[in-house]
Amino acid sequence: MERLTGIVGVPPSATIRKVIERGDTIIDLDATVSRVNVEAESRLITRYYCAILRTVLSNALKLPLEEIYIDVGEGKCDGARHIKEILKRELSIPVIATRNSDSDRRGNPICLSSLPLVEKFEKIVESVELPDGIKEDFPPSSPVCGFWGVPPRDFELLELFPDSTHVFGWTRCMENKTPSDGQLELEFDPSVPTVFYAQSFCAKNSIAYYLAHIHPRGFYIDGDFSISESTKAKVEAFLELNGIER
Amino acid sequence: MIVGDFGTSYTKLWKVGSSESPRVMRSTELGPDVRADYGTGHNAHLRSDRVVNELVALATGARELVEAPDFLVVDCGSRDVKFIAFENGRFERAGWNSECGSSMGFSIELLEMHFKLDYQSLQAQDEHLPVACGILGMSAVFDAVARGEMVEAAVAKFVKGIAVNAHRFAGCPSKMYLCGGLCENPLFVRSVPAEVVPLGRFLLLEGLVEIAGKGKWTTSAEMRIPP
Repeated sequence: MERLTGIVGVPPSATIRKVIERGDTIIDLDATVSRVNVEAESRLITRYYCAILRTVLSNALKLPLEEIYIDVGEGKCDGARHIKEILKRELSIPVIATRNSDSDRRGNPICLSSLPLVEKFEKIVESVELPDGIKEDFPPSSPVCGFWGVPPRDFELLELFPDSTHVFGWTRCMENKTPSDGQLELEFDPSVPTVFYAQSFCAKNSIAYYLAHIHPRGFYIDGDFSISESTKAKVEAFLELNGIER
Repeated sequence: MIVGDFGTSYTKLWKVGSSESPRVMRSTELGPDVRADYGTGHNAHLRSDRVVNELVALATGARELVEAPDFLVVDCGSRDVKFIAFENGRFERAGWNSECGSSMGFSIELLEMHFKLDYQSLQAQDEHLPVACGILGMSAVFDAVARGEMVEAAVAKFVKGIAVNAHRFAGCPSKMYLCGGLCENPLFVRSVPAEVVPLGRFLLLEGLVEIAGKGKWTTSAEMRIPP
């Protein structure tokens, strides 16, 4: 019988390898894999909280999981540490905290490629379940703009950007398999207009806001469960007024 | 070619190249067949062949009228507040407040009708009511009146609260260019705690015409605002 193991964040490659060798099916609980009804979980968690972590909670409570590995600390966030405590109390399965300090850099071919931005994020998110990352060639592109941040809860935001958008921030750390690499997370390209994104209610908003301020052509936005029409309009205007064609 | 700004409460239409001035009408009174070649605003997608992002229309229109390389323009409409700032002629930042702080222009008009006021003659107030949004702000007006405050003073404090909100939302600039329906409200203009340069309520139409590549519909060079 299929054994489902949930993961949250980017657990260490050794953990992922162990789960795969055991023959388990990995479920990325950060992604929308169950019919998420966040209101149903509102008895356990405040509405004013990260949409990704509320999705984790909703998935974990609904899916028939055998075990959960949840990364906490610098490679993820304090919020995950608190969610781990909730899951431990609400579920009868092992909920195991990991602290990913992997430092073996795998590079960022996807972030630098000419793939459509949605596809870039899909591949990077998928690569969390692969201990050695995606082994494909992705021809590099010359960037026309940048996207800094975490994978947004609503990928519709990414459809606004041209294909040769380069990816920065924690998503770059994800692809690199070094989610706690704080220096890599801070990197950006000052030569291209860049949108700095963070999930609403996430501590990363402070650094996203600040980096947008010091970037010569940076623009800060945040987003909750879905991207509002006004946020989409702001991004469209930012791109268009910077002469960037989609 | 017809350009249209299809707002929540009012629609502004202009037939480019005609001698007629742009028309303003209540959006609820718009006939079903009214369409524009280029449109912007909340309802533009229902009535336009080509929809232009409101911030882009705002920015383009403002760049046509304002010669300064550094400036900030705020559009205070019925339902929302938008702003866009330029530095050295380049996009610097933008904001669009459509939820918290919403329905401000709409509620100002409701109060005018309800209390039969004339905003031309109301005195701007130094104090302001706490106005989280238009609807909650109206409750504050009714509470103030129930406490014995003069209606005119209470409403003026409400308008001041909205003006302060819009100013803060735009980042507290010392000078701001203003467009949208509220730039025709003298009480609102006097209540903004900054130097205000009104650009009229047809600025987005100006932007649409420019975007459509048909040239300016205003004919006068004097419309341009020097730095």
